[in-house]
Amino acid sequence: MAPSQAGHVPTLDNLIKSFNDLPLEASMDSLIFLLKRRQIKGDDCAKATAHFLRHVVAKSKWTSVNHLIEQVRSYGTRLAQAAPLEPVIGNVVRRVLGLIRDEAAEDRNADDVASETASDIQDIQSLAPGAPPPQPLQRATTASPVRPTLGSITSGLLVSNSMFNLLSVAEPLGSPLTGASTPMSSALHASVHALRSEVMDGIEEILDEINQADDQIAGFADIQIHPGDYVLAYQPTKTVERFLIKAASKRRFTLLLAGLQVPDPSAEPPYAALRKRLAAAGVQTINLASNGLMAYIPRVNKVIFGAKAVYQNGGLLVDSGCCVAAQAAHEYLKPVIALCPVYKFTPEDPSNEVVRGELGDPSSYVSYANGPAVDLLDIENTVTDYIPPELVDVYLTNLGPQTRHHLASILADHYKTEDIAFSLQFDEDS
Amino acid sequence: MSGESNGAPAGAPNAASTAVDSTKKASAPSNAAAPPANPEKLTPAQLKAKAKAEKAARRAQVKEARAAAAAAAPAPQEKGAAAADGKGGKPKGKQDGQSLAVPRASVSGRRPSMHRVLEKEKEQDVRPNVLECFSHVPTAKRIPLSQAHKDVHPAVLAVGQMMATYALNDSIARLKAMLLAFKKVIESYETPKGSSLSRHFVPHVLNPQIEYLTECRPMCFAMGNAIRLLKGKINKFDIDTPENEAKEALLEWVDFVINERISLAEYAIALNAAESIHEGDTILTYGRHRLVERALLKAKELGKFFDVIVIDDHFERDGQNLATTLCKAGIHVLYSPNLGGLRPKVAAASNVFLGGEGIFANGSMNARSGTADVAMAAANAGVKVMVLCESINFDRDRVSVDSMTYNEVDPERNTPDFFRVLYDNTHDKYISGVMTEFESGGGSSPAQAILALLRKQEDPLIA
Repeated sequence: MAPSQAGHVPTLDNLIKSFNDLPLEASMDSLIFLLKRRQIKGDDCAKATAHFLRHVVAKSKWTSVNHLIEQVRSYGTRLAQAAPLEPVIGNVVRRVLGLIRDEAAEDRNADDVASETASDIQDIQSLAPGAPPPQPLQRATTASPVRPTLGSITSGLLVSNSMFNLLSVAEPLGSPLTGASTPMSSALHASVHALRSEVMDGIEEILDEINQADDQIAGFADIQIHPGDYVLAYQPTKTVERFLIKAASKRRFTLLLAGLQVPDPSAEPPYAALRKRLAAAGVQTINLASNGLMAYIPRVNKVIFGAKAVYQNGGLLVDSGCCVAAQAAHEYLKPVIALCPVYKFTPEDPSNEVVRGELGDPSSYVSYANGPAVDLLDIENTVTDYIPPELVDVYLTNLGPQTRHHLASILADHYKTEDIAFSLQFDEDS
Repeated sequence: MSGESNGAPAGAPNAASTAVDSTKKASAPSNAAAPPANPEKLTPAQLKAKAKAEKAARRAQVKEARAAAAAAAPAPQEKGAAAADGKGGKPKGKQDGQSLAVPRASVSGRRPSMHRVLEKEKEQDVRPNVLECFSHVPTAKRIPLSQAHKDVHPAVLAVGQMMATYALNDSIARLKAMLLAFKKVIESYETPKGSSLSRHFVPHVLNPQIEYLTECRPMCFAMGNAIRLLKGKINKFDIDTPENEAKEALLEWVDFVINERISLAEYAIALNAAESIHEGDTILTYGRHRLVERALLKAKELGKFFDVIVIDDHFERDGQNLATTLCKAGIHVLYSPNLGGLRPKVAAASNVFLGGEGIFANGSMNARSGTADVAMAAANAGVKVMVLCESINFDRDRVSVDSMTYNEVDPERNTPDFFRVLYDNTHDKYISGVMTEFESGGGSSPAQAILALLRKQEDPLIA
C-alpha cells in the first residue's frame, strides 16, 4: 500500500462500527478488502470475524437452523478465503457454527421434553444430522457425534435462556431439512427469534473470550518467569507485551528483544513504549540487532513469543524468524514458551504453504531504485514461519499452560467434528 | 639567547661561535638554508633568525592543525547529540551536560583535543546500556593518532585505523594489511649500536606495533598466528647475522606467508570447494564470504550448473552484493534477506557452504553472527555443512564452546537501542567438514581434526 494511504486505513473499531450502518454484503466486502490488504492481521482477524458473524446472525434472513448454518458457513468461507494464512478466521467461524448447533440441540432437547412425539425426534435428527442429542464424548467415531458438554464454556451460561424457551416454545422448531419452506407459524417465528438472540449472546461470549485472553494469559506470567531470568522475546505481540508487563510487576528479570527490523533512523526505536513501561518496573531490556540468536541463547533462560495459530499436530504458525529462536533455544534445552489463546487452536494440519511460509513484500530489503539488481535477483522475503511441534515446550493458553499431548482434547472441547471439515470445504470451492 | 641575537648584528668578533650555534639549531630543518640563492652572504645571525622564524612557523602550523582537529572533533559529537535528541528522554539530559562541559574545557584547557579525547574515552568506558553479562566482550576502539605510542610506525597506524573503522573487516584482509605494514616496519628498521636485530627488534619495535593493533581491535586468530610465526622466525636468527641479511630474509618470509598462506590457500580452497559441487546442486550460503564467493565463481568457471540460495543478515546486507555478483556471473540465485523460512530453505539445499573467520582448537567455528543458526538448521535437516577456512585461521591454543568467550561487540550497535555481537560460535557437531588448502579433489577434513591436520602437515604453527 502506498504510504499516503496509511492515514485512511480504517481501524478495526471503525470497521466494526460501520457494520451497524452498512448492509451485510457491503460490510462483508469492506472486511474482505481489509483482510486481503493485510490491514487487519492476527488477533484483529478473530475479532473482526466474530463481529461480522454476529451481524450475519442478526441481519440475514433465515428460517431454520440449517439455513443459518449454511449462511454462516458461506460467509465464513469467503472471509477465510480472503486471508488463507489467518487460520483464526476459520476458527471463529467453526466456533460460531458449533455454537449454533449447540443452541439448536438444546432447543430440541427442550422440545423433546415438552412433546415427546416420535415424529419430532425424527424431525430433529434429520434437521441436524450431525448433531444428535447429547452423547458421551468420543471423537473417533465416524458417525460424527458431538461432545455433549462441549458447550461448557460458550453456552454454559445460556442454559437459563433455553429454560425460558422451554416455556415459551410450544412447537418444535424448523421442520423441513430439504429446504422446502413450510409456512411459518408464529411459534416457529418465536423460536427463530429466540435462537437468534441466543446465538448472538454466544458470539458475544466468544468476543469476550478473545478480548480477555491476553489478560488471562498474563495471569500466568509470574509462574513462568522467575526473578533473575534472562528472557528472550521474539517480536513481542500485544499478547506477549501484556504478559511481560504483568511479569515485570512481580518479578525482576532481564529482557532481550529479538527479531527487530532494521532501525529507521528517523523513526522511534523499536518497542520504545514497551521498554519504557518495563524500565519503569525495573526490568532492563536490550534490543538485539541480530538475525542469528545462537550467540545469545546460552545466556537466556527462556524464549517467549506469540503464535498466530496452533495446528492440530502442535505446530505453530509464527512471525518470520521466530523459528530461529525456537530452534536455538531447543538446541540449548531452554524452554520455549508459546503464548496462544485457545481461539488460535486450529483443528487442521499445517498445509505445505504454511510450512514453506508466506512471502511478503521485499521492497524494504532491496531498493527498487537499483533496477539491475532487482531484475537479476530472485528475492524471497518470508514473513511467516512454521515451528514444528517438537521445538515447543509450553503452550500457554488462557486456560493455562498445556503440553502438546493435551492439545487434542482442547480442540475436541471447542470444535464440533462436523465443522472441522470447514476448511476442506473451502478448498473444494476455490 | 636573546642577548646573543642582539649582539649578532654587531658582526665579526663572535660570529664564529654563533655560527656553530645556529647551524646546530638549524640542522633539524635541513632545507632551512636552501631557499636563499647564496647562503654565504647571510650572516650567521641572519641565518639563526631565519631558522627561528621557520621554527615558529612550523609551530604555528602544528597549532593550526590541532585547532582544525579540535574543530572537526565536535562534528561527530554534535551528530550524536542530534541523534540522541531524536531518541528523546534520558540520553538528552546526558548530552546536555556534556555540551556544557565542552566549552568550559576549551576555554580553560590549552589543548581541547586532548580533553575531548578523554571525555570520549570516559563515555566509552561507562557503556551504561550494555547488560552486565555482555560487559566483558571487547569492542574496537578508534584511538586518535595523537594518543598512539610514539614508536608506532605510520603504516601500522593506518592499518590500525582501518581495522578500528571496519574498513578492514575480514580476518584475512586484516592479516594481509598487517603483514604489509610490518614489511614497512622491517624496511625502516635500523639496529641500534651494540645490539642485534634478533634481540632488539621484537621487544622494542615489533611489540609496540602489536599492542597498538590489539588496542584498535581485538586481533583475529590469523593475525595472532602470523605474529607468532614472525617472532619465531626472528628468534631463530643468529646473534651475529648481519642486519641487512636478516632484514632481507624477514621480508622474503613475509612475502612467502602472503603467497602461501593467503593467496595460494584461497585459490586452493576455492578450487577444492568448486570441485565438490555436483551438477544440479543447490548451494546455500549465509552472508558474503570471499572464499565462498570465489568457490562459487570458480565452479561456474568449471562449467557446472547449480543454483545458489543466499541467506542474508538484514542488519549487514553483505549477501546482497554476493547475490548480485553471482547473478552477473550467470548463476541462478535465490536471495532471502533474513532468516525467515530458514528451515524449508535449508532443506531445499544439497550443500551449505559457510566461510569461517577462525576455528578453535576444539573444532568450533568462529564466524559472523548468524552462521551458527544456519549451520544448525542445516545439520538438523540432514544437509551437509562445509566450512571453508584457511589454515592460518586455526587456533591451536584457544577452546571455545560459547559464543561469548571470544567475541566482539559491534561498536556501531552498542547503544541503548541496539546491541549486537559480531561473531558466533558454531559447534563442531554441526559441521560436516572443513575445507582448507590441504585438501583437494573435493575432499574435506572433520572439524575436530584441526590439530591433527596441522601436525600432519608439519605445520610450523604446531612444531
